[in-house]
Amino acid sequence: MKRSRKGDPLAEAGLRYVDYKDDKLLQRFLTERGKILPARLSGITARHQRQLSVAIKRARFLALLPYIKRGIS
Amino acid sequence: MPRQYEAVYIFDSALEEPAITEKLNRFHALLPQTGTDAIAVNHWGKRTLAYAIKKRDTGYYVIANFKAEPTQLPEFERAIKLDDGVLRHLVVVNEHDYAPVRDAADRSAEEDDE
Repeated sequence: MKRSRKGDPLAEAGLRYVDYKDDKLLQRFLTERGKILPARLSGITARHQRQLSVAIKRARFLALLPYIKRGIS
Repeated sequence: MPRQYEAVYIFDSALEEPAITEKLNRFHALLPQTGTDAIAVNHWGKRTLAYAIKKRDTGYYVIANFKAEPTQLPEFERAIKLDDGVLRHLVVVNEHDYAPVRDAADRSAEEDDE
């Protein structure tokens, strides 16, 4: 399993807990279609990935993030 | 045993500022704050929504942090649900500290060293 080569961006940012209101940060972990990036691609630890997915789902509920980005060919 | 909660409200952007604050006060009246800790209200203001909610593309976001007894929440939530000026709301337990371990100043200093 390819371990994260570039280290965990979240740990580097020193964030203790992923904040669901910080949509700019969350945006970095979404594909262009708005889907959640798998941990093996985003290089973050499992703990952060779990927090991230909860945060993204909350942000989507609050319309901070789209469920699906249409129109991007 | 009171717990720390965070509530996010999305108000209809057609409402003006005073109407929104009046609704907020009504909601927060249902959460009597003991002691000195008042309710921290943070207005994000109008933002375009990522997708339409109730046929609207913009919403007025407000975030409130407060301490409350779990028993007070149903009443509080019912008042919000009844009010159609609120497009959507989310109440979440908020006992994690988001403060980065090192604040931005150290981090930027650290980045310069590399």
